[in-house]
Amino acid sequence: MLIFSVFKTLTDQQVTVELKNDLSITGVLKSVDQFLNIRLDNITVLDEARHPHMMAVKNCFIRGSVVRYVQLPAEHVDTQLLEDATRREAQNQIKR
Amino acid sequence: MSSLQGYVDRRVLLILQDGRAIVGVMAGFDQKSNVVLSDSKERVYSMEEGVEEIPLGLYLVKGDMIILIGELDETLDKAVDLATIRAEPIPPIRY
Amino acid sequence: MLPLSLLNAAQNKPMLVELKNGETCNGHLINCDNFMNITLRDVYQTNSDGDRFWKLKECYIRGSTIKYLRIPDILLDAVKEEQVRAREVGRNTRGAHAGGPGNRGGRGASTRGGRGRGGPMRGGRGRGRGVQ
Repeated sequence: MLIFSVFKTLTDQQVTVELKNDLSITGVLKSVDQFLNIRLDNITVLDEARHPHMMAVKNCFIRGSVVRYVQLPAEHVDTQLLEDATRREAQNQIKR
Repeated sequence: MSSLQGYVDRRVLLILQDGRAIVGVMAGFDQKSNVVLSDSKERVYSMEEGVEEIPLGLYLVKGDMIILIGELDETLDKAVDLATIRAEPIPPIRY
Repeated sequence: MLPLSLLNAAQNKPMLVELKNGETCNGHLINCDNFMNITLRDVYQTNSDGDRFWKLKECYIRGSTIKYLRIPDILLDAVKEEQVRAREVGRNTRGAHAGGPGNRGGRGASTRGGRGRGGPMRGGRGRGRGVQ
C-alpha cells in the first residue's frame, strides 16, 4: 500500500516503465491503482525504430503484474520521508 | 483509481503476454481487466514481410493475459502503411 | 458491457477457446460461472502446434487456464439490446423499490463494501452506476 501512495504522489511526473518483455515506455504518469496498474500519457517507446508496434498509441494502460521496473524522477521522491514511512509501516505490521 | 473506462468504445491496441498485438474496439471490461474487443484484428509483425492483419471478430481476452492496452490515435494509425512496416514480433513475457 | 454478461449470453453458441498452453477448443458453450470456468459440448480440441485433433463429447475448462475466447459477432448486438431493454424496465420500476434491474450497475463495485450503495441510492433516485 505504501508504494501505491508513493506512485500517487508522482502523478503528472514523467516516468519510464520497463516491462517484463523488455519494452521500455516513457510517459507522464496519469494514474495508478491498488494493483499498481499504471496509466501513462504522451508515451514514447525506447528504440522506436525497433518497436514500431505502438507508433499510433499516445496513452496506455499497463498491467501492474508485468512491470519489471519503474524509473522515478529522483527530485520528486523524498527518500528520507519514504524510509520513515517504511519503518512506521513495518512497526505497524509487527503490532498487528 | 486507474481505470479502463476511458477506453470504452475507442479503438485500442492490446499487447498480450505471448507477444500478440490485437487491435479492436473496446466494448467492455471488468474488475479483473478482462476485456471484450469487437471488430478485432491481430497484427502479425515480421522482418520478412509487411504487417499482416488477420480479422478475428468478437474477442473476450482474459485480464491475466494482457500486458498493455493503448488507445490508438486513429488519424496517426491510418497514416501508417502497415505493408511497409517490418519489425520483430513483440517478445513474450519472461518471468 | 461486462465480459461475463457477454459470456452468459453465449450459452448454446459456438465458440473458440484458446488456452494458455496454446491448445484450442472449438465447441458450443453449455455453461459458465463467474470464474469463467466453462463447459463445452461437441468439442474439437487441437494441440498447440495445430497438427493433432481430438473430438470430445463434452469438456470442462478451468477459467484460469484460458487465454481468450472468440465469440460470434452477432452476440455483441444481442447483449447491447438486452441491456437497453433491462435499463428501460429498470427506469419504469425504479422508485417503487430500489433493487430492480436498475441496480445492476452497482454490482460491479460490490467488492468495495457498502460504498457503492449508500451513495447513489439517496432519495431512491440514483442510477447505481457502479461499473467503474
